[in-house]
Amino acid sequence: MMWKDKYKIGVELIDQQHKELFRRVSDFTETIRNEQNWEDKLDKVKETMVFMQEYVIAHFDAEEAYQEEINYPDIENHKEAHAKFKEGINDYVKIFEEEGFNEAKIQEFGGRLMTWLIMHVGRTDQKIGEYVRSKGGQA
Amino acid sequence: MRAEYVNSFYKAIKEVFELMIDIVPQRSNMRMVDSLVSNKDANVILEVKGNLQGTILFSFPQDMILKMMKIMSGMDVDKIDSFASSALGEVANIIGGNALTNLAEQNYICDIAPPQIFVGEHKALSIVDEKALQLTLTTPIGEFDITISLNENQSE
Repeated sequence: MMWKDKYKIGVELIDQQHKELFRRVSDFTETIRNEQNWEDKLDKVKETMVFMQEYVIAHFDAEEAYQEEINYPDIENHKEAHAKFKEGINDYVKIFEEEGFNEAKIQEFGGRLMTWLIMHVGRTDQKIGEYVRSKGGQA
Repeated sequence: MRAEYVNSFYKAIKEVFELMIDIVPQRSNMRMVDSLVSNKDANVILEVKGNLQGTILFSFPQDMILKMMKIMSGMDVDKIDSFASSALGEVANIIGGNALTNLAEQNYICDIAPPQIFVGEHKALSIVDEKALQLTLTTPIGEFDITISLNENQSE
């Protein structure tokens, strides 16, 4: 499991969504990395990838709505970080659609996705928690 | 080679490793070298352009990379495949980005090109005009090197 408690930001709603996000990225990563023959698991690879992608969008939308609700001052930079994250995923999805689900390319994507996710939640999102705490909110 | 170049990278390495790998590397040896040599199992090169120009080389032993992947992913990784090499390249890329942010605070504005990753190649990558600085960092999961060859860009 990729999730670690140190990634918590101290806002229950967001922390629960982050755990779910890590779970879906872990499922995708485990699927692409298990010993099963690539052709035999291709449908499962595609399914877990779509499942992960859907949640990335849903979570980013929910997190941005929460930031608006609390008047988070860094919201524009954060939206830009979300847009770059989604763009990074979409660039790979485009490659897979055009060139097929090549195993080495998907492994490459999996390695990057894991790193992006840890950096985003472990660092960028921590600033939301710091802001909430500075306003005397829950944390 | 100015101390602030090295310190900017060392600070970035400590921050990124602590966040992503749960460990804080410690400086051990520092030496001047004549060339960028990939002397370990996997190497990542970052080309720097801007007020400073040059090359940064990260060199890791295989065993350490596999342990890094285990810490990050929670899964056993038994070889440096596309997954591990791309994750490693991205970690180096993030370190480079953070180091450039540190350098920007000292008015050096630079960019880095996408990381180039070489696995299993022990060879001289390039001869540098001036001596480069190689720093060895120790961690509980192994030792790695960063070689920094940066010079002020006279045409900027």
